[in-house]
Amino acid sequence: MIELEDIEKTYTRPDAAPVHALAGVSLRIAGGEFVAIIGTSGSGKSTLMNIVGTLDQPTAGRYRFERTDVAGLDVAAQARFRNRHLGFVFQAFHLLPRASALENVELPLLYTRDEPPAGAGRRALEAVGLADRLHHKPTELSGGQQQRVAIARALVNEPELLLADEPTGNLDPGSADDILDLFEALNRDGRTIVLVTHDQRVAARARRVIRIDAGRVASDEVRDVARTAGREENR
Amino acid sequence: MNASHLLRDSLRSLGRHRLRSTSIMLGSLVGVAALTFVLDIGQGIRRKILLTVQQIFGDSSVVVVAGGMQLVDGPRPDAARLTIDDIAAAAAAVPAVVAWDPQQVQIASVRRAGNTATARVLGQSERAEKVWARTVSRGRFFDASDVQRRERVALVGETLVRDLFGGADPLGAEIMVDAVPFTVVGVLERFGTDLHGMDRDNEIVVPVSTLMRRLANVDTISVAKLLIADPAQNATAAAQIREALRSRHALLQGQPDDFTLLTPTEVRQLLGKMQRIVTLYLPLASVVVLLVAGLIAATLMAGAVNARVAEIGVRRAIGARPADIARQFVAESAFTMLGGGLLGILLGSAAAQLVARRLDLGAVLSLRVALIGLALALITGLLAGVVPALRAARLRPVDALR
Repeated sequence: MIELEDIEKTYTRPDAAPVHALAGVSLRIAGGEFVAIIGTSGSGKSTLMNIVGTLDQPTAGRYRFERTDVAGLDVAAQARFRNRHLGFVFQAFHLLPRASALENVELPLLYTRDEPPAGAGRRALEAVGLADRLHHKPTELSGGQQQRVAIARALVNEPELLLADEPTGNLDPGSADDILDLFEALNRDGRTIVLVTHDQRVAARARRVIRIDAGRVASDEVRDVARTAGREENR
Repeated sequence: MNASHLLRDSLRSLGRHRLRSTSIMLGSLVGVAALTFVLDIGQGIRRKILLTVQQIFGDSSVVVVAGGMQLVDGPRPDAARLTIDDIAAAAAAVPAVVAWDPQQVQIASVRRAGNTATARVLGQSERAEKVWARTVSRGRFFDASDVQRRERVALVGETLVRDLFGGADPLGAEIMVDAVPFTVVGVLERFGTDLHGMDRDNEIVVPVSTLMRRLANVDTISVAKLLIADPAQNATAAAQIREALRSRHALLQGQPDDFTLLTPTEVRQLLGKMQRIVTLYLPLASVVVLLVAGLIAATLMAGAVNARVAEIGVRRAIGARPADIARQFVAESAFTMLGGGLLGILLGSAAAQLVARRLDLGAVLSLRVALIGLALALITGLLAGVVPALRAARLRPVDALR
C-alpha cells in the first residue's frame, strides 16, 4: 500500500546549520497491517507521519500510495487523496468545540465530490459506540469519548488507511485501553493502521513496530502473530 | 465543496461564533439601515419638491416676493415697499401676463364659540382661485365686489373646520379672526403639507383688501403671482416684470432689487442644490459607514482565522483544498454582512416609512434601494473576507496542526 524510498526532510534555517529531520527513510507497509512508529521526541517520527499523511512534503525521495506518486500531486489533488484514502486521529482530538459530535463526524463529507451516502456520520458514530451521543458537544463528552468522535470522523469516508499521532497521549489509562481496543477491532476488519507513539505500552498493541532514531529507521520488527492472537484469546 | 455544502457549513459556523457574527452584522445593519433610510427619504423629498414647485408655479408663472435677495432666511431689506399698484402696473406693462394675484399674510388667532386656533390668514384677490389654482370644495369663493368693499368673508381650510367646528358644516357661521368678525362663505380644497412641513389646510383666505385694512393695517403686500401665457415666454416676461418694478421703485442702475423674482426654473435649480445634499452626500456618508463596517468585519475575520488555526489544519487534513478554506471564510464574512444588511433594510425602511408619514412624503419604500443596500452589504462582506481568507488558505496543514 505504502512505499517510501529514501525519504529525506531537511529544514534549512537562515542562521544555523540545516536540520535533517529525516535522513533517508525507506519503508513498505502492506494493506491490513497495524504498525506502530516509535521514537523519542525529535527522532523524526512525527515528520514521517506528516509526510505519509501528505500534510508535509519530503525534501527528497519517493512516496507511492497504491503505486501512485502522491508526493508529486498538487495541493488540491493531495487534499482529495486525504479525503478519500486517509483518516487522521490526533493527540489533541481537534474537534470543532461548538459543533455536535455528528457535525464533527460529518465534516469530511463536506469535501467529498460525490454525494455521500445518507447516514454515514451516524453509522460511523455507532461503529465507535457513541450512538447515544450524536448531538452532544465535545465539552459534554469525556476525553475518551471525544477521541472516539475523532476516530468516527476519520472513518466516515471509509478510508483504507488510518493515521494516528499519539492518539492516547491525552487520555487516562482506562480510556487509552478502550481506544487501543477500538484500533485493534478496526484492524481486524481489514483497515490499515499506522500509529505514532513514544509509549512502549501503546506500541505493544501493534503487530509491527518501527523505531525511528535520528531521522532513520533504527529497527523494524514484526511481532509474533500467534502471541498477539493468544493475547486476544486470553481476554 | 459544492454550493449547498458551503452555505450550510458557513451558516453553522456563524451560529458557533455568535459574538463575532453579531458584531459584524451590527456594523452591516447600521450601514445598510442608514443607506436605505437616506435613499428612500431622498427620493421622497425629491418627488415632494417637484410636486410643490408644480403646486406653486403651475405650468408657467413668475412669483414676486417683497424684499431683495435672501430667499431662505435672513433679513429682507425694503420688504415693506411692494404694493398692489406696483404689480398692477407691471402686469399692464407686460403683455404676456394673463392674470395676477397679490397676497399678504398674517398669523392670527381664530375663535369660534369656545374653540380657539392659530392659523395663517392669507389676504388674496378673487383671482387667486385661478392664479394659485386653489378653489373651494364647498360654498363659494369671494368675488371682485367682496374685495372692493373689503367684505369680512372668509374661506377656511379643513384643519380649521375640524378644530373650530368639530367637523360640522361651517358655511354661514361667524368666526373671530383676532378681534374682527368674519362670515365663513367657503371651505378650501385640501392641500396637505408643504415643503416646510407646514399644514396648508390650517389656513384662512380673506379678501386682500380686508386683511390689509381691517386686520394688518398695512399698505403693502408680501407676495404676488403673475401667470404667463406661454412657458416659452417665462424668462422674457420675468425680465420685463423686473424692469417695470425697478422703474416703479425708481431704482438706479447698480442699486440692488428691493424685491425677489422667482421663476420655476430658478427655484428648481436652487432646490436641486439642496437636494444634492440629500441624494448624494448623505448616501455617501452611509456608504462610508458601510465601509467602516467592512473594515471591522475584515479585522474580526482576521481574528477568527487566528483563533481557528487548528480547525483550518483539521479541515485541510480531512480533505479541504486551500480554495475550500478561502471560500469558507469569504462566505462566512459575506453571509454575515448580508444578514446584517437584510435586518438593516427592515430597520431603515421602517424608519423611512415613519419619517415619510410625518413629513407627508407619500410612499417612499423602493425595491431598487433595498437591492442596492443588499448588494453593497454583500460586496463589502466579500471584500472584507478576502484578505483573512487568503491568509487562512496559505496556512500549511503541518503548521496549523502543531
